[in-house]
Amino acid sequence: MRVRGATKEKSDTKSKPETSLALPWNVIVHDDPVTLMTYVSKVFVQVFGYSSEKAHRLMMEVHKQGRSIVWTGAREQAEMYAQKLQAHHLLTTLEAVDA
Amino acid sequence: MWVARVDEGYVFGDLSPASVETLKGVPMLLESADARVRGRLLPDTCDDAVDEEHWRRHAVPELERLFLSRAQLVRRDLATLRKMPKSEHKLLLIPDGHTSAWLAALNGARLALYVMNDLTAETMEPDGFVKATPKQQEALLRIHLLAEMQSVLLGDLEVEPSGPFDEFIIE
Repeated sequence: MRVRGATKEKSDTKSKPETSLALPWNVIVHDDPVTLMTYVSKVFVQVFGYSSEKAHRLMMEVHKQGRSIVWTGAREQAEMYAQKLQAHHLLTTLEAVDA
Repeated sequence: MWVARVDEGYVFGDLSPASVETLKGVPMLLESADARVRGRLLPDTCDDAVDEEHWRRHAVPELERLFLSRAQLVRRDLATLRKMPKSEHKLLLIPDGHTSAWLAALNGARLALYVMNDLTAETMEPDGFVKATPKQQEALLRIHLLAEMQSVLLGDLEVEPSGPFDEFIIE
């Protein structure tokens, strides 16, 4: 599964300037009172290939701090990860990292 | 409800009519057009309006297709519910190959029930049940049933292997 049309975006005049594509993007998962904690960890392992320990640590960060930056990198890949996390119904947002 | 681990997957047995009704509601919740449900299952993702529009145009349609296909898979499995002997209760096999889809579907349905019934983090707490309205209490019972099934599929609850599924079928 991937975000389709990501290549088309480069020629889309409505898109943001090229510079915003070059900036790293954060994938952020937010806490919700419904989703099971073990499910969140499992999804992190499945989507990112993180170790169980890292997945658990990030899950606990989401649980205790209300949100966690679970991945940072190129916009297209960040969108792909956000889409995969939302496919599992984790509350996920994207943000460009300020230069 | 009891659970057994068979060669083909997990069997959920002794499902009451209320439990079956809850399960049959899962695909409908995933397909719901309710704005609150759509707002949670397809949430606003970017702060910037242009970025959000890009997200809605490119990522959301594929997510919608995925949720519909998942709802169809769950519906197909529910169509194989078997009646238990001398009882109105039923038996459901969730094949191993469908575990991931079921886990996500159950999560989506639980989130949908949460937003549709104006539940809060407080009502989700163990002592929150008594503070909830009767309608919310019914939703909470459904949410907890689906969570129990998720826990089984996640392997959080240990279930002893029980051989092939055929051994559970008494025609």
